Amino acid sequence: MRDVAIVGTGQTKHARRRTDVSQAGLVREAVDAALEDACLTFADIDSVVVASGPALFGAVNQPEKWLVDALGGHMKPVVRITSGGGTGLAGALAAMNQVSSGFVERVLVVAYDKLSEGALQYQISTLYDPFWGREFAVGIMGFAAAYWRARIDALGHTEEAAALVSVKNHRNAMRNPYAHVKKEVTVEDVLASRPLAWPIKLLDVPPISDGACAVILASEDAVPSITSTPAWIRGMAYYGEADNAANRFMLQSVPLQLAAQRVYKRAGIVNPRRQFDVAELQEPYTNFELSYYEGLGLCRSGEAADLIASGATEMEGDIPCNPSGGCMGANPIGATALIRLAEAALQVTDKAGERQVPGARTALVQAGGGWANLRGVAVVGADRN
Amino acid sequence: MDRTTSASMEMRSEGLGTTPSEHPAFAGRIELPYKLTTGRAASVFLAELASRRIVGSRCPSCARVLVPAQDFCAECGTAAEELVVVASAGSLSGFTETAAGVLGLIRLDGASTDLVHRILDAGLADLQVGQRVAARWAEEAQGSVLDIVGFAADDAPAASEEVRPLSDPSDPVIEQPYRLRLDYQHAYGPYYGRLFDEIATSRRIQGVRCPRCECVLVPPREYCDTCFVRTAEWVDVADTGVIKAFSIIHLEFVGQVREPPYIYAEIVLDGAATRLIHTVGGIEVEEAMERLHPGTAVRAVWKDGEPVGTLEDIVYFEPVFDD
Repeated sequence: MRDVAIVGTGQTKHARRRTDVSQAGLVREAVDAALEDACLTFADIDSVVVASGPALFGAVNQPEKWLVDALGGHMKPVVRITSGGGTGLAGALAAMNQVSSGFVERVLVVAYDKLSEGALQYQISTLYDPFWGREFAVGIMGFAAAYWRARIDALGHTEEAAALVSVKNHRNAMRNPYAHVKKEVTVEDVLASRPLAWPIKLLDVPPISDGACAVILASEDAVPSITSTPAWIRGMAYYGEADNAANRFMLQSVPLQLAAQRVYKRAGIVNPRRQFDVAELQEPYTNFELSYYEGLGLCRSGEAADLIASGATEMEGDIPCNPSGGCMGANPIGATALIRLAEAALQVTDKAGERQVPGARTALVQAGGGWANLRGVAVVGADRN
Repeated sequence: MDRTTSASMEMRSEGLGTTPSEHPAFAGRIELPYKLTTGRAASVFLAELASRRIVGSRCPSCARVLVPAQDFCAECGTAAEELVVVASAGSLSGFTETAAGVLGLIRLDGASTDLVHRILDAGLADLQVGQRVAARWAEEAQGSVLDIVGFAADDAPAASEEVRPLSDPSDPVIEQPYRLRLDYQHAYGPYYGRLFDEIATSRRIQGVRCPRCECVLVPPREYCDTCFVRTAEWVDVADTGVIKAFSIIHLEFVGQVREPPYIYAEIVLDGAATRLIHTVGGIEVEEAMERLHPGTAVRAVWKDGEPVGTLEDIVYFEPVFDD
């Protein structure tokens, strides 16, 4: 198995609605930016991985077929990966394995969704079993709110603690040129915002966005001719659990813990809070970020509210989480996890501009999809394992 | 009403083929509205149909003319930004007959790619590859590819100047409304079939027990998700249970069945080890915020009248408080 590094990243101008580009134009914008970042052209790309959310989001089935032209995929391997909110990381994992196995040297992975085209909550509700629960579904929001309510009792993940996540991520997004929601909010604003699926309120929820992200991965053999500042993928894993298995534990995500254990072992992480300089977490709602602190071992179970209140996850804290603003700044669902990976790569290569965590060399990435039953983790570093 | 007739579940086959099951299926419909963004090239292509001009895009790298106009060249991936007008007549590259009539691949004069469209006033026997066809235009333009009604046989020779620059382009058509309606006939299979038959005939909810972990799984299924062994025994579970988690829905959205506010709940029925998704009712929202908790007991409130055999036969679950 060969080591794999990120040698280029690109993002679109994310927006609530992009009427100036089709889905093809959107992905191309991110791809052009990534190629420019890596100083490569389509001729240098051996293989393409497309990652996007459920096909109902864009009303185009098998969009990778449609996007081949825009991705320079003519006569190259082209596959599509989809896995809900974790799609971007699942795509990167497939791309990484193509490189580490020796199949190719340089892979382009592009993740996107153009959510403004359709009716999002209804589309997500179709993920439910048609016999068992679809008629009661409220996208993923009703479900996510319900288990947050349970964690309030069991783990102390209060509405105030979640509001601090919203305040932090909104503030961080102000420094991210790719974020399209740029609005500072206070804890009081969040708590007073309109309930959507209580305890989830409007300001606990990221925007609905059109956007794409592209990342170019290269083998350890190909890296030296491309860049002197690669971001090495030191580990990546993606785990699932049966949605309605007997006695499924809903308070902590077991697949998240499994993915973290596997990746930490490979990357030699024994004390995540101390060893990581920065984390990019894909938080579809504020309360998930609290849950991830615990699942990723940044604090113990039941201590997430204390962690956010301590300021440790702020830009100035010892483990800044989501310096990009996370999903709160932009949330093109299929792209969000790849954006987290790209942001982590920017951090460890000192290219994150105003949102740079000074001296960051090791970054944690988390992503998740499905009914909170699909979870991925990656470690990205300036150094190899 | 019998959805399972387990005795009749045997596979029927005739040689290598199979015959469709005659068991009743669950009719599901997904109906979704969209506003599709056409993108730079297609937005002009659609707009120019009103002026009875067919627009293509020329690839600056390989000089191919893509029709309808595309943002990117399929051959070399280059952005094809130059828009040109091609002829509205050309020759037939191929054709077939479908339920929607005769469809053809039309190579318009000046184009490097084929356009798919209807062939009018002709059957398969009247057509041959290479024959000349020309566009027939709709009386009134709608900003859709159907502003060309179709192509019909035409004797006009190929134009001498095949491709012209696009002058005075119309305002682009940047959005296309679209409605996706998908009708499904979901097969119940023996497990869902028996579950919903029992609900419909006796308001009884049944699960299956895993022989290894001894957990009761509802809805019933062939294999235990965690032990990976075949389930065996059917068991009744209660129509009472506890709330595992709940949230209060205020959000309104397209396709919503219930009117907010209402209480979304995941319930574990007494005797089961899995979650049932439903709603909690019989309690005001304000009171629910105070009094409901994970672990609160609930019981099913069944709909009056004849059950139909879905979860909608339960109106909601109502809380059962000790006091």
